[in-house]
Amino acid sequence: MSKNFFEVKNVDFSVGGKTKVKNVSFVIEKEGDIVCLLGPSGIGKTTILRTIAGLEKISGGSIFLNGKQLSSENINIEPEDRNISLAFQDNSLFPHYTVEKNILLGSERNREKKENKISLKEIVDLLDIFHILNKYPHQISAGEAQRVSLARSLITQPDLLLLDEPLSNVDQSFKEEIQVRLKKILNKLKITTIIVTHDSYEAFYLGSKCGIILNQELKQFDDPYKVYHFPNSVEVVNFLNRGILIPAKVTGKNTLENWDLGTIEGNFIKQYPKGSNVQLLLQPEDLEHDDKSNLKLEVVDRKFRGTNFIYTLKTSSNTLIPVFVHSHHIHQHEIDEKFGIKRPIHIDHIVCF
Amino acid sequence: MFRILNIWFLSSFLVSIFVIIPILTVFLSFFENTSDYYELLKNTFLIEYIFNSSILLISVLVLTFIIGTGSAYLVSFYEFPFSNFFKWALILSFAVPPYIYAYSLTAFFENYGTAYTILKNIFGDGNYNRSIPKFDGMLGAILSISFSLYAYVYILARASFLYQSQNLIDLGKNIGFSKFQSFYKIILPAARPAIVAGLSLVAMETLAEFGAVDFFSINTLTTGIYNSWIAFDDLAFANRISFFLLLFIFALFILENLSRKNAKYHFNAKGGFKQKEKNKLFGKKSFFAFAFCFLIFFLSFLFPLSQMLYWTVKFPENLFDLKILELLINTLYLVSLSSLILIIFSLISNYGNRVSKNKALNFMSTLSISGYAIPGVILAIAFITFIAWLDESVIKTLGFLSIKKLFIGSILGLVLVYFVRFYSLAFNGIKSGYEKINISVDESAYLLGYSKRKTFMNIHIPFLRNSLLFIIILISLEIIRELPITLILRPFNFETFATTAYISASEDLLEAAAVPALFLILIASFFIIITSKYILRETNE
Repeated sequence: MSKNFFEVKNVDFSVGGKTKVKNVSFVIEKEGDIVCLLGPSGIGKTTILRTIAGLEKISGGSIFLNGKQLSSENINIEPEDRNISLAFQDNSLFPHYTVEKNILLGSERNREKKENKISLKEIVDLLDIFHILNKYPHQISAGEAQRVSLARSLITQPDLLLLDEPLSNVDQSFKEEIQVRLKKILNKLKITTIIVTHDSYEAFYLGSKCGIILNQELKQFDDPYKVYHFPNSVEVVNFLNRGILIPAKVTGKNTLENWDLGTIEGNFIKQYPKGSNVQLLLQPEDLEHDDKSNLKLEVVDRKFRGTNFIYTLKTSSNTLIPVFVHSHHIHQHEIDEKFGIKRPIHIDHIVCF
Repeated sequence: MFRILNIWFLSSFLVSIFVIIPILTVFLSFFENTSDYYELLKNTFLIEYIFNSSILLISVLVLTFIIGTGSAYLVSFYEFPFSNFFKWALILSFAVPPYIYAYSLTAFFENYGTAYTILKNIFGDGNYNRSIPKFDGMLGAILSISFSLYAYVYILARASFLYQSQNLIDLGKNIGFSKFQSFYKIILPAARPAIVAGLSLVAMETLAEFGAVDFFSINTLTTGIYNSWIAFDDLAFANRISFFLLLFIFALFILENLSRKNAKYHFNAKGGFKQKEKNKLFGKKSFFAFAFCFLIFFLSFLFPLSQMLYWTVKFPENLFDLKILELLINTLYLVSLSSLILIIFSLISNYGNRVSKNKALNFMSTLSISGYAIPGVILAIAFITFIAWLDESVIKTLGFLSIKKLFIGSILGLVLVYFVRFYSLAFNGIKSGYEKINISVDESAYLLGYSKRKTFMNIHIPFLRNSLLFIIILISLEIIRELPITLILRPFNFETFATTAYISASEDLLEAAAVPALFLILIASFFIIITSKYILRETNE
């Protein structure tokens, strides 16, 4: 029996006989924790949720919830008996019932639950759906339907809540506000939640742990901070689009040397023997602009991103390097101009592969 | 969820098996011995049967294509006087079965018939019989069947035209097509699957048609089956002709499928769809469009209706001789019992298919809906064959009393064969309702703690309510008009409007056939009018 609140142990997740994600193991230690699973589209994130919900079966490994085995090769508890709620990405509202009735159908499940009970009003206010309560699913927008689906799942107050891209159709302007409210209510009600998303910022904000699924594997499962700053593989770096990998040679305990940039110093996450040839992860915020520096690189592109610019610079060996510059920086560089990089280069966390 | 042998699976499996039995009976009995009648017929009439069936089929298909597609095109793309009225009035022809149309045609054009009376009243006495054309024999059968069945093509073609995007029409204009070129090169090919589907239905009904061809004494495969059973008491031979007829029908299906190849006819409904603008017609064009639609409406509906009405008024004694209330009760009894059973089992079967996701069951269901393609005469005879075999080989061997009386010449037998014949109507109707419910809706229900039974009762049934009502009315319409099955399997002294009309007509008492025929048309029209919106697919549900 598992001591953790929820545990997935050596499970191959498959659909229609085709394995989507292999040999997955992760735990949610405490009730009320939120975990986010990140990965590109079609990688099998939804299959994981459907399997946990009991809609797909497994051929090996085990899934435990609150000390009870839900799935294994021989055991399959029916979805209706799991007390797990899944909010689908697509519109899965009952088309012949109004929004209000759709949500209230969810409240029938844990009617006897007395503590920490959430009311329809609270849910409706939380997700700002009061104005559509009397409408039918076909009369509301995709974003509204998604919020209603979320409301219906929340009101069931399940043992485990599974959210499949819960805010993918919600307007960008409203998304962050909903994220804040959602996190607040999940924490208040202590609902253990697994959220699937391809928006890394959403995952980093909502989850206390994040899992990265790539190439049929759960590549990394860790705190959002660690996933962001200390990606454990080249695939994760590429997926999170965290920067580029440049060749470097370890020259000391805290230093390395790159042909184009010279000496780089900082704290290694993982120690390498002196003289090792490594691939250094260089992130846009790692380099600082300095007009007076003698290390000059050529500007090949400039993207305006509101608070900052991202310059793409070409080194003498034709490597392209991204660099953040605050958008209020007085001197804007044009393409083909020279761009100075502050020396010595210091990187807080040196990540190498 | 993963237990295959659940109650839903078993129920759907049994329903499918039951519906497949008559089809299998026909195929298996092909290998049985027949009487000498087979040899006799093979050398004499079989070729004639096949030839007549083919001529009838081709002519009806051509005529229904022209009438159905032409009228659908006019009401879908143009605005002219009464175009909105014709939109639904053109489907009223469904209320007139081919055999009743045949009675009207004969009654009007026969010697000293209604046409003669009209001419006499206008121009005085004269020898008009010679100048009045005679629409009997093959021509009469072709006209009767075409005017009764063209609505299949009309409805499906219109639905397809309705969903053609204005963008498509605009594209034609942009390329520089004339109106005719747009119709011929864009609109018609895009509607091809719908038109072919309509024509397939017409083809099946034509091959299955019994009443009208029998009335005009045309020897087709269907009447051959009936005659070999009635006149020669040769069930095996009846089944053998049925086998040929089924091959004919399956060949049609295959041809239709092959002809489509990999062509895509569907357009993405999301975005890109622009509501069509109807062109307003003026002057001559407007008149011709109106005249075309009115002519079809008149010939297909008003003409038989007024002929039957005329005779009812002319010979009122027939009205009082007929036990109308009894016929009405009998008809409604059959309709309600059959609809109820069909709906219940089709619902179970559909839900069983949905939850079990079993390929074998899916295949069985697909096979079982072919009952609609099999002529009523064949089904009725196959049913009798099966019951006779079951009675002789199983029931009596086991020492039980004969079950023949329970199933043959009884309401139970009648309803069971209706079940097989109209199962596809109910099954497909519910299936298309179910297709609108995303599977994730079911999954959401399970995840809200609903059992399968509760999901079925609380989520599916309320959603399908309107579809079910529509299916009930469609089934009712079919049963009210149905002739051969009722004729063969009805209990002694149990009559419906259809059988009463047929019996009077076959005894050459056409005027007596008018009253039940009139009631049949009126009841069927009532059903059509209340469901016209659904039939014309103007609502989503």
